[in-house]
Amino acid sequence: MRAAPYDPVRPLYRALLVFDIVAILILAIGLGEFLYFERPGQATGFKATIVGVYQYDQTTHKTSGPDRSTFTGTQDFAAVVDWGSLPPNLPVDARWYDPFGTIVGRTGPGTPAQLSNQTTIPVGAPAPFNRNLPGRYILVIERLEGGVPVEVLARRLVLVEG
Amino acid sequence: MSSAPTLRAANPRPRGRSPRNRITIAVVGVVLVVLVVSSVLDYVYLDTIPGRTALFGLLTVALAALGTYIGVRVVERNPADRQRHVIRAVVLLGLAVLLWLLTIDLFAFTGSAGPTVAAICAAACLPTTAFGLFVIRRLDRNEKEPWRLVLVAFAWGAIVATSLVIWGESLWGAVAERVLVPGPGLDTSIAFSAGLLEEVAKGIAVVLLFLVMRNEFDDVVDGIVYGAAVGIGFNFMESIAYMTHLYAIFSPEGVGGYAAGFQWYSRQVLGLFFGHATYTALIGAGVGIARQLPSRRQKVLAISSGFLIAIAAHFSWDAWVQFFPIETSDLGLVEIHLRTLIMTGPFTAAVVALLLSGLVFEGRALAEQIRKESAQGGGAILPTDVSILTSPWQRLAQRMRALRKGGVRAYFAQGRLQTAQLDLAMERWHRERQEIDEPLEAELELRSHVLELRRQAAL
Repeated sequence: MRAAPYDPVRPLYRALLVFDIVAILILAIGLGEFLYFERPGQATGFKATIVGVYQYDQTTHKTSGPDRSTFTGTQDFAAVVDWGSLPPNLPVDARWYDPFGTIVGRTGPGTPAQLSNQTTIPVGAPAPFNRNLPGRYILVIERLEGGVPVEVLARRLVLVEG
Repeated sequence: MSSAPTLRAANPRPRGRSPRNRITIAVVGVVLVVLVVSSVLDYVYLDTIPGRTALFGLLTVALAALGTYIGVRVVERNPADRQRHVIRAVVLLGLAVLLWLLTIDLFAFTGSAGPTVAAICAAACLPTTAFGLFVIRRLDRNEKEPWRLVLVAFAWGAIVATSLVIWGESLWGAVAERVLVPGPGLDTSIAFSAGLLEEVAKGIAVVLLFLVMRNEFDDVVDGIVYGAAVGIGFNFMESIAYMTHLYAIFSPEGVGGYAAGFQWYSRQVLGLFFGHATYTALIGAGVGIARQLPSRRQKVLAISSGFLIAIAAHFSWDAWVQFFPIETSDLGLVEIHLRTLIMTGPFTAAVVALLLSGLVFEGRALAEQIRKESAQGGGAILPTDVSILTSPWQRLAQRMRALRKGGVRAYFAQGRLQTAQLDLAMERWHRERQEIDEPLEAELELRSHVLELRRQAAL
């Protein structure tokens, strides 16, 4: 009986299959990471109330004008949140994300009872800049579990024009 | 007892469509339908700048498709028509590139960055991209791929693949932003979308080249070259997009030029071979290995593996790059290089390992076929040609001798002869491995072609 002739393509094919296993491992870790931060079955049905997003004065720490979804880079703005719409002992926080995913404003973590006097959440320009970078900003009010955000209770998008 | 092989006629070519052609038509059809439908949906429902870009980009896609079609037909036409078709294809692809640049410029960035900035960014990316294409083409030291196909692969990566992903990523991002918890979960989701959509959009080009241009798609080396060319094309357009976009964002702070310059360095210098070129080269490696596998199951598995590895490599960068933060001190300059080396280096090393193995395998096989052709007689490859054809340096030396003796025309005539001789050896190799579906007359034609070129070179 004669052995099958050696084909140099076989080692290349096998190497590809080995890399394939590494790839599957990487994607599985990625899926695990996604599921850790985006845990299924976390919906509680609670909804937070975002009263609005207003122009904000850094010196007086007060909001003014109508509820808006668009600002310019030089305009400071802040969200006003009604914590009263949530159960008082629910661990929550509120965060502003800039277009690069950086947190540029935050209140909490704490329970709505603890945060009841922190209803205004301003956006601060990331250091070393002195104006808000243009792009889409997201405000989220999140429910926390073990310090990890697991559910978005309210969300608001704001556009900062260049 | 051996029976004579049944010869099918090379001219006229067999009528009707082969299964490969049907797959090609289906893939192209799906790509075009997806582009049209998604662009319109994007425009109607999202009404975003990328949506408008995708809609207006359709004309670019149509031009690129027509240019590709004519470019591919060049090899099928008789030599008298060839130059005309080459010119048409180049003009159409050139128009498509310009139109796409214009589209990006007008609808995405002109309002803030301005046409001058976009033109400067494009001009800054051109030399590095050209260098990248030159290097990857030269990697195939045994038998270089034709420039027209390398440029077609580049154009697909730059124009068609970017058009395909704009809609997909816009939709994915819009939905994820409204549904997921911002932070690592959302980032991971976006990384999955980039890995999946961008690699599939780029990989389609390699698969189409494999289906349409089987004559110029020989093995793993060719797959890596075409894949890397597609990746470099994608990287070219993405670099311009990021440079202009970040310039627009940071110019009010007075650091727009710095932001654009940093993007240029990280994408056009540091990431020229490490980023998209590596990912799509992995797809090309899978397709190239599939080219030489005997069973359909193995072919499918090899192509799927190439895609999976590329998606995982791309995903790992996008998802985990945040775990390697760069300091703003001088140490950051070292860190940024180390980060690329650590995160993408292993995948680039895998491509290099496959490439080197493929080159050795291909080189040995070609040398063997060159010797066999020489021993067979007939004059296509003479015994004195064997040592020259098996060494890239000796081939260059022979061309240089021709240059000194007969000028530029002699140099190119000698080059064409060498290319035809190597094509003949490659044809023999595929036939010996039973991985060719061309009639034997094609090989006889190739042999006659070599003899004709030898006569011209002698003159």
